[in-house]
Amino acid sequence: MSIEVSVPSLLADCTGGRSRFRLEADTLEDALERLLGDYPLLRHHLYRESGELRPHVLLYYNDQNIAWLADRRIPLREGDRLLVLQAVSGG
Amino acid sequence: MAKGIKVLVGTNKGVFIYSSDESRSEWRLDGPYLSGWEAYSVFGDSRGGRKRLFAGTSHAAYGATIRYSDDLGATWTQVEQGPKYAAETGFSLNRIWQIAPGAPSEPDTLYAGAEEAGLFVSRDAGLTWNELDGLTKHPSRPGWFPGAGGMCLHTVIVDPGNPRRIRVAMSAVGVFRSEDGGETWSPSNEGLGRVPTGQPYPEVGYCIHKMAADPLNPETIYMQEHCGVFRSDNGGASWYPIEEGLTIKEGDMPFGFPFCVSPGGDMFIIPLESSEQRTMRDGRMLVYRRHRDEREWLPVGDVVPDEQRHVSVLRDAMALDDLDDYGLYFGTTSGELFCSLDRGVTWKRLPGLLSRILSVKTWRVDE
Repeated sequence: MSIEVSVPSLLADCTGGRSRFRLEADTLEDALERLLGDYPLLRHHLYRESGELRPHVLLYYNDQNIAWLADRRIPLREGDRLLVLQAVSGG
Repeated sequence: MAKGIKVLVGTNKGVFIYSSDESRSEWRLDGPYLSGWEAYSVFGDSRGGRKRLFAGTSHAAYGATIRYSDDLGATWTQVEQGPKYAAETGFSLNRIWQIAPGAPSEPDTLYAGAEEAGLFVSRDAGLTWNELDGLTKHPSRPGWFPGAGGMCLHTVIVDPGNPRRIRVAMSAVGVFRSEDGGETWSPSNEGLGRVPTGQPYPEVGYCIHKMAADPLNPETIYMQEHCGVFRSDNGGASWYPIEEGLTIKEGDMPFGFPFCVSPGGDMFIIPLESSEQRTMRDGRMLVYRRHRDEREWLPVGDVVPDEQRHVSVLRDAMALDDLDDYGLYFGTTSGELFCSLDRGVTWKRLPGLLSRILSVKTWRVDE
């Protein structure tokens, strides 16, 4: 199974110049590990040195904030999306 | 291939590059590069046969890193092992305030000054970076407290004749010096004015705005700090004020940010109204000059005599080029860049209105 990943264009130089691409993975947890393993520069911009997600970064699985998921071992389905978003980007 | 002059401009919305030949009469503006990233530091490195342009990029949401270009800005690469604090330090890398070269004998060495305040070094022309953690392990570190611009290490000065001799300056913390290549550090603030940080560490709490070494004598260092303008004749061991001519109003304390000094000894500052106001006095953008052998500052340049400019010039937003008849450049918080070719007396506004200008550096490089 694969999942469509979307990252902000500002971070596209961390992901081979692409802001939208697909990853092969079986579960959401696998997809997250694969994303950060394949693109280590992305980890630097998404996570603080302490390992916490940066305060204004959101990771969404479809329309759900991953931070509130009880279990990330969700089997991926056709059409799933993993989105990196900037929290409160409006003016 | 003729050398040209480039003025590298870091703004809060990317990097811009002004280019001219050595006459510096006509300028071309290119950019923005790295659009969307703030560039608190830029540096053009021609050492070791390179032609490498660096930018210290940061973003409120995505943190900070260093990017470089080997094709004069056309394409950029993010360094894979950039400055980063170890997780156990608890420090966070928020901005890169300075990218500075090592001594001439170490052409592959660069230093990066960061916020939160710390110093990083690269020994491979900027590809990998490591913290010189003797600084952040100094016993006074718990007493470091951020100034209005953040707790930033904004100035790095390496003795050109002794690469192990390094001076750094940090806002609201002070000057630290190392004689062993950055392994150990000592506060170096004797004679400066302390600012109220509320912290019980008397050896720190000195708000340095910008520090510059005299090109002729590395023992002579100048600075603009929160409480005035100072000089050291002993490599920063002690400081004394050099403020004659700067008191425009009774009780007015000299206040400003950038400081430049030419090889011939011309020093330049741009005083602001006060710490509270932080804009040009009465809207007049006046550049002050003093030669190292003179006893008084003079307002030599009224940059825009017919208009008011209620703006500021930030600490790293003034620079000299390295031609014999040097050019002096500064950028404002309202995005204008100005150039003088006559020791700061008359000024020309370069084309384009940019975003808030954070950093101005010059680079003499083959086109």
